[in-house]
Amino acid sequence: MAAPCSRMANRPLWQFITNVRRTGLKHTGVRQISLSSACRAATQTRSKTEGVPSPWKLYGAVCLQRLPVISQERNPIEDQFAELMHQMELERSLLSDHEQRLLEDSERMTRKQADNYDSDEEEADYGGQETITAQDQEDTWEQKLKHFQPALRDRDVGGTPLGSVERCLGDSLVLLVQQTVGKETIWLLPQAQWEAGETLRQTAERGLSSLPEADFKATFLGNTPCGVYRYKFPKEVRTERCVGAKVFFFKAFLSAGSASQKEPFLWVKKTELQGYLKPPYLEKVDRFILNL
Amino acid sequence: MFLSLMGVDGHVSQGPWFASVLTLKTSAPLRAEPKKKKKVDPRREQMVRERLKKKLKKLERVPPELIPIEDFTTPAKYMDETRVRGAPQLPFEESERRALLLKEWSRYKQTQHRAEMEAVGLAVEAQREALEELRLESEELYQAALRPDPLLFPFNHQGPSYTPPKAQYEAPEGKYNNITKVYTQ
Repeated sequence: MAAPCSRMANRPLWQFITNVRRTGLKHTGVRQISLSSACRAATQTRSKTEGVPSPWKLYGAVCLQRLPVISQERNPIEDQFAELMHQMELERSLLSDHEQRLLEDSERMTRKQADNYDSDEEEADYGGQETITAQDQEDTWEQKLKHFQPALRDRDVGGTPLGSVERCLGDSLVLLVQQTVGKETIWLLPQAQWEAGETLRQTAERGLSSLPEADFKATFLGNTPCGVYRYKFPKEVRTERCVGAKVFFFKAFLSAGSASQKEPFLWVKKTELQGYLKPPYLEKVDRFILNL
Repeated sequence: MFLSLMGVDGHVSQGPWFASVLTLKTSAPLRAEPKKKKKVDPRREQMVRERLKKKLKKLERVPPELIPIEDFTTPAKYMDETRVRGAPQLPFEESERRALLLKEWSRYKQTQHRAEMEAVGLAVEAQREALEELRLESEELYQAALRPDPLLFPFNHQGPSYTPPKAQYEAPEGKYNNITKVYTQ
């Protein structure tokens, strides 16, 4: 028992974290045993410093993403390649039932129009029934398709406001709110200060639900924070007890929700974040917002 | 049988036929047979049952027939030669264009893959830093962060479609006959 635990403890922390994230419930039992043996040494050193409260204020923030609703437009090269693939597949395929029927019908038409047409012989084969040609069927199908009007792909032409969830349906959007931090009102991801007795994820959930005039239903992806932003207060505000603040970000996907247009919400793409967030904040946030 | 021969009074009724029956009772073969019959019949029935059981066991020993995978067997109607499409002769320029396009595509996909891997690497690094900072803050919160979330899975999400969903759209009802073959072992 001792030997494998010590080997696991020597693994770098990031590998461990990715394993925890990936495997979830299954391997928890094994991992927790190894962790306890690893951090027993750590807690002994920490218990000495536990008495002194840390000089950092803790905040929990949520990175709420609305996933794309429609597929993105193709690049020119993607277009060309898709066409090529379609052509190659067509060339290498066999004739389908429908295509064979089309060929037969066209042959029959040519035979009918030829001079030596023996109608009795032809109709004897089919028992004198009225046959619907494959071409007619195709035409009826096309007519039916024209009756159906799908919703338009590009609805942004009208210029939907930045606060609407419906803009840029092909990209994933992130929610930004305007909050007063210290003396300034700046755009940032919705956050709330941590209170004793709750986990940071609950803080983030509270930060999301406390947004005025908006009810967003989000699925949080796990208990682990995906990023951290650490900053020191300006020298006037700094005291012995609080030197600065640490903001822990949690990822969530939007499942349903609405917001009134009055409140200052922004749904922005990753490329547009630069216009709203401060550079050091953006640097940290940019890393975990994936545009995939 | 003999009780029925006796009348109500209890004495055997007289007659030439009944005398011979009475004599039958005491004849040699009748005396010996009844006991043998009782043994052989159950034995015979047992033998028959055992033979049937052996046959059943032999049949059961045969391994069950494997369920055929219908996707792996090409149906006979596709082996027909009349279905072959005429293979077009590609001009030189066309084949060159195709080869160059394929190479271009592989280069494009490679850059895309590299960008994706980099992005994922950055995200993982960000998470590692976050956990490090959290650990420096408080061990309790760190432990709480590492606990897995049982309510997360099963996680379902409708992926992107070509056109956005129409508000208040009623899909037409359709019927279909399922003709898939179901095999039982």
